[in-house]
Amino acid sequence: MRSSPRTLHWALHRLGLNRLLLHMFLLVVATLTAAPYFWALSTSLKQRRDVFTAVPQWFPPSPTLQNYVDLFAMAPFGLFLINSILVVSGILVVQLITAPLAAYVFSRMRFPGSGFLFALFLIQMMMPIHAVVVPNYLTMNTLGLLDTRVAMMLPFWASGYAVFLLRQAFRQVPRDFEDAALIDGCSGLRFLWNVLIPLAKPTVIAFSLISVVTHWNDFLWPLIVTDTPGVRTLTIGLAMFVQQESGADWPVLMAGTIFVTMPLLILFLAFQRKFIESFMFAGLKG
Amino acid sequence: MRTASNRISPYLYLIPSLIFLVAFTYYPIFSSIYISLHEWNLFTREPLFVGFENYRLMADDPVFWRVVRNTLVYVAGTIPITMAIALILAILLNERLGWLRGVYRVTAFYPTMIPMAAAAMLWVWLLNPGIGLINHYLAELGVPRIEWLYDMNWALPAIMLTAIWKNFGYFMLIYLAGLQNLPGELYEAASLEGAGFGQKVWYITLPLLAPTSIFVLVVGVITSFNVFDLVHLMTQGGPGNRTNVMVYYIYQHAFRFADYGMGATLTVVFVAAILLVIVAIMGFMERRTYYEV
Repeated sequence: MRSSPRTLHWALHRLGLNRLLLHMFLLVVATLTAAPYFWALSTSLKQRRDVFTAVPQWFPPSPTLQNYVDLFAMAPFGLFLINSILVVSGILVVQLITAPLAAYVFSRMRFPGSGFLFALFLIQMMMPIHAVVVPNYLTMNTLGLLDTRVAMMLPFWASGYAVFLLRQAFRQVPRDFEDAALIDGCSGLRFLWNVLIPLAKPTVIAFSLISVVTHWNDFLWPLIVTDTPGVRTLTIGLAMFVQQESGADWPVLMAGTIFVTMPLLILFLAFQRKFIESFMFAGLKG
Repeated sequence: MRTASNRISPYLYLIPSLIFLVAFTYYPIFSSIYISLHEWNLFTREPLFVGFENYRLMADDPVFWRVVRNTLVYVAGTIPITMAIALILAILLNERLGWLRGVYRVTAFYPTMIPMAAAAMLWVWLLNPGIGLINHYLAELGVPRIEWLYDMNWALPAIMLTAIWKNFGYFMLIYLAGLQNLPGELYEAASLEGAGFGQKVWYITLPLLAPTSIFVLVVGVITSFNVFDLVHLMTQGGPGNRTNVMVYYIYQHAFRFADYGMGATLTVVFVAAILLVIVAIMGFMERRTYYEV
């Protein structure tokens, strides 16, 4: 009878009361934050009869993957996944060509108009694409690019944010490096490629992760410029699926939702440290 | 060494970026202004010059003012709460917590990794009036059933709740980054003077985090002005336009009603508002920040 208060007393002594309260508080917050996703995951693994119960079943009593099978039969989620991968990598690859070139210029060269041109990049960093979707849609229409994967990528091929981050990184590289490289006959593009980019690797990785997450999650722009399932990405595929279902087939809807989130979450859990460092680092530089 | 090619090369390196920058960021601003002065919808074959008629129509439309109000309520409601939660958690997570710190950090941050569209679906399910989890637990506490996304007064708060859940982890991470850069000596000196945890937070941490807060505020305000995905998937602007926000309203005009003239007019007003907010926040904070980290 008396052992339990004594154990508690021991725990309090060992941890300190404050620390124990702190952990309890943080555990509550963590549970509340994790609950929505866990509940959806659990729903997606349930049989229909286990969804509508008087008492919520946090764990599926008889787990099944049938909802995922149904999902794939009802809409081409595999194709959406491929489209998402294509669009996200298409954006990143071009950004990693255009941005270092511009960042190199702004970090190493002085030329007339450099201040004005850099301001153009900085303003783009703050001006969200959402604000100008109407004229951009009309541009895509004029170019005859509506309902293509390229249309989903084009507006992001110049990134003020990437230029800004890379410029900061390139500026850290001492002048001596450039002089030494020049003597070895390594200048311009070769200096950028062989010296600056390898030295700025952490920034390149951080930006790449942020770009991938951002565009994986893009919604409004792909929604507007796509019209057929063949080119749709996961987020748009999910939205269309929800509309098409419109009913209350919750286990399948949640299976779709979970499937859309899975690729990034798995990457995130596998490379947690890199992701968290990158997002922290980018926040710091901003 | 100064040759002609040296003088031209900076511009050459900038061209790839500038093409896309001009085509998809700057040209659209000017073309919006141009289109906004025209009537251009399903009934007009070609844009028809009408001067400021679109702006007059917009200002006379009560729905527009409802949309402005909703957007402001959304921004003013979500940002301070999200920032407060993020700041408190960051300060607590900066304490010594052992291996559990990693667990707390991952659980707070994972919503950042999932698409807004997916977040919307998670919460539509949680907020389902009949069989949703939230109403179930509220009923156990004796709270009468709330219609959430179908209720004139609860729909916008429900969307705001989703946004707070989605974003606080990212803000928290930025604050954690800011905290790691604070000088340790100040805290040691304060401890020697006998300052407690609360005093250290109030007199050292908060003032030194001011630049981080400005960054979070700017990012937060800009992203929340642009809320669209949640509205599109959770309420479609309803009920009775109570959750209709600026970007959704632009979308409706341009892509539902095919009214490009009005879509462009709203775009011009919206871009101007965003630029104004950015300048205002920067100007205001410039005067209030005494510390540089």
